[in-house]
Amino acid sequence: MTGAANPLDLRGRRFLVTGAASGIGLATALLLSRLGGQLVVIDSNPEGLARALSMFEGNGHVSHCYDLRKLDEIPSLLMEVSASGGPLFGLVHAAGLSCIQPLRLLDPSSYHDVLRVNTEAALALARGFQHKKVADPAGGSIVFLASVMALVGSPGAVAYGMTKGAVTGLVKSLAVELATRGIRVNCVAPGFVKTPMFERVSSLWDAEQRVQVEAAHPLGLGEPEDVANSIVFLLADTGRWITGSVLVVDGGYTAR
Amino acid sequence: MEDFYAKLADILEVEEVKPNDVLRQFENWDSLTALSILATLDASYGVNLTAMELRKINTAAELAATVENRRK
Repeated sequence: MTGAANPLDLRGRRFLVTGAASGIGLATALLLSRLGGQLVVIDSNPEGLARALSMFEGNGHVSHCYDLRKLDEIPSLLMEVSASGGPLFGLVHAAGLSCIQPLRLLDPSSYHDVLRVNTEAALALARGFQHKKVADPAGGSIVFLASVMALVGSPGAVAYGMTKGAVTGLVKSLAVELATRGIRVNCVAPGFVKTPMFERVSSLWDAEQRVQVEAAHPLGLGEPEDVANSIVFLLADTGRWITGSVLVVDGGYTAR
Repeated sequence: MEDFYAKLADILEVEEVKPNDVLRQFENWDSLTALSILATLDASYGVNLTAMELRKINTAAELAATVENRRK
């Protein structure tokens, strides 16, 4: 048997988390800090980032206010992060945009930003991460956020499902391509989780629809920490033989 | 706001929407149509209306007035 006594011990490892100002990104960053990880957190919301930074345990965490729609500059951002603070062991792309619109309103401009942030930024982040000056020479682990909407359907979720379905496709080939470098690539597919994004989406539902959505989760709606636990499991040595997988974390939403 | 009724007609897939038309009486009114209206109000006028609020609105004119008020 090999490995550390505690495979969740993250001391001495550096992690980049996008969307870390709120929701699943924040819960993930918090948990990583509690396990000894050092953080580079990214979000487009400066106040949220400052608040997040004050919540983390340990020292040496840094934040970058960045708009992930600027795809071209993402690899150089990761290079800068690594040059100034050391290589990265893990990457979590938790930033995301929702898009709940019926097909009849889906002209390309309505989902352009959603595709950019949810999918294309994931690819750009992976491209930046794999650079030999960025990824930890000992190996690394990338976790993207897919969704149950990548696996099953719902009215109004066409564009969102498309962006998240593409993430599951991205993960497969990246996992194979980066395996020789010791970099694992996985994603989680959460059900409906009580986050600020969920609050925005659920305001479009009437009371009856909200009850239906809750009832569709045999274990009830999720908390951000429920998804963060799974992300950290994949990032840490607990997930060291897992790559190219889609871990469904949905309270049973897709079990029916 | 001059294109408000045209946008509504587009979503409801009819030739024209008049101020006194009752939203729920359009043939293809359903939860997806309601969702389309909410999404359009947000994208076109920056007005965030909830499904519960839309439910209380009866006519196209009432919806127009609500949007006008929220934009102020």
